[in-house]
Amino acid sequence: MQHPAIEMKNLWFAYGGQRVLDQVSLTLPAGEFLAVLGPNGGGKSTLLRLLLGLVKPGGGSLRVLGQQPGQTGGLIGYLPQFTAVSASFPITVLGAVALGLVRPGFSGLTGWLNPAARRAEREAALLALSRVGLADQAGRRLSDLSGGQRQRVFIARAIVSGPELLLLDEPTASVDGKSRQELMALLAELNRDMTIVMVSHDMSTVDGCVTSIACVNQSLHHHAESRLTPEIFAQAAGVDLRATCPVELVAHGPVPHRVLLDHDHPDCCGGAHRPEKKDNGPDKGKNIGTANAHANGKDKGGAA
Amino acid sequence: MMEALGFEFFRNALLAGLLASVICGVIGSLVVVNRIVFLAGGVAHASYGGVGLAFYLGLPVLPVTTGFSTAAALGMAWVTLDARERSDTVIGVLWAAGMALGIILLDLTPGYNSDLMSYLFGSILAVPRSDLALMAGLSALVLLLAGLFSRGLLVMSFDAEFARSRGVPVRFLHFLLMALVAACVVMVIRVVGLILVMALLTIPPFMAERRASSLGGMMLLSAVLSAVFCVAGLYLSYALDLSSGASIIAVACLGFVLSLLVPAGRGRRGPA
Repeated sequence: MQHPAIEMKNLWFAYGGQRVLDQVSLTLPAGEFLAVLGPNGGGKSTLLRLLLGLVKPGGGSLRVLGQQPGQTGGLIGYLPQFTAVSASFPITVLGAVALGLVRPGFSGLTGWLNPAARRAEREAALLALSRVGLADQAGRRLSDLSGGQRQRVFIARAIVSGPELLLLDEPTASVDGKSRQELMALLAELNRDMTIVMVSHDMSTVDGCVTSIACVNQSLHHHAESRLTPEIFAQAAGVDLRATCPVELVAHGPVPHRVLLDHDHPDCCGGAHRPEKKDNGPDKGKNIGTANAHANGKDKGGAA
Repeated sequence: MMEALGFEFFRNALLAGLLASVICGVIGSLVVVNRIVFLAGGVAHASYGGVGLAFYLGLPVLPVTTGFSTAAALGMAWVTLDARERSDTVIGVLWAAGMALGIILLDLTPGYNSDLMSYLFGSILAVPRSDLALMAGLSALVLLLAGLFSRGLLVMSFDAEFARSRGVPVRFLHFLLMALVAACVVMVIRVVGLILVMALLTIPPFMAERRASSLGGMMLLSAVLSAVFCVAGLYLSYALDLSSGASIIAVACLGFVLSLLVPAGRGRRGPA
């Protein structure tokens, strides 16, 4: 993987005359697990659509896996938002996963496959299903599965073509807490084989699992760390910390909770928002050496 | 039933009903899973403009209507491309505009047109052989195209956003699907009329969807259900001297209600 997974410079995109994204620059090395945070309407999903080639940038340069977006075919795995698929669609779990093998262009439209190709598709789909832990559900109707299981089926569909880059749009929305943890563990494991970019508004999923965080709110700030700081939190929520309390959930009694370590990084958010990852190396090690840190992610971050 | 089969008009009617059933099973399933029922309704009603045009120009009705409704369908496909804002309103306008055009053209046509109602509510018992041939040709074309592009149609129907991300030409498929809907509507106009088309396009696929585990299975099952409704409705219409189109739809609606009472099979659990 000689190319960075994502390379964008001075990218902008306007929707109806208004710039949704402006002056966005980001270089994401291969192997990263990037969480894209930001308020609703801040341009997170637009960023994904740009990477997929579904919309064209107004200006600036953008390379995905060293290629023009939209030319990458099955090299990008994509998990759209949960609501995109009708819950009652008549399809088996295996059938849904096999749809991830569709070829781009008009050659992918024709319905007739020879038996060998059909068998190869079936095996690839079964393999992808076993990676997400659902091989035993292959023959069931998709609509019979729980929300968390269904989300894992869609992840299997995204990875069945063996992508180098996995783009996820709100993967943990509309699944319950336990499924959310399992999903994040699954993604951390998939991160060993592929670069992951995850759009999320759920900041609790981010901490510790990812290797870097990008805050998108028209502009993009890339933080080369895996944990939330008050500053990242403020950027991601699109609020001013001095005016708002970032802790919105208050509960009585023995509620499971997690308190983040003190943030002692001297210059992280004082102006070092650009993705100069290497410069942060020594400080970074100190920062994320906690029980929460993801060992795999840390190694990758240091080596990048 | 046996004595009725002795008449040519009844045999033609039965054949027309079965052809329409096959097409409704295939296209109706695609309409339902793609959530374009409203669009299909727009095409069906706008095609009345084609009926008016044919009468006004003194040309054969079905071929002209086929051309007109295909044009209307492609126009609507263009309006709804990429889920544009307020596209549903534009469809509503085209829906009414097509019907109004049809009525005005018929007003301008000299002579009394007793045949008018038959296009609104169907006249399956009066299907001539020439129409039957056209219907068979259209069915073959629709089945051929749907079969040829079945993989693309399935990928788009399941998740258009994902299909787009994989470089599948979703826009082309959208136009194709709307053209197929137009062909289907023209065929079914003869059977139940353009007002009642919606019932045959939606009821059998809805009943089949919950019981099938593939899109192909859903098409097959809804075609069978359509055929049952058509034959039963046709017989009732013959035996009780009722309007054929309305009888077919009445049977379909009865089946719809019964299917809601009977729980879906295949070990289905959880909320629907």
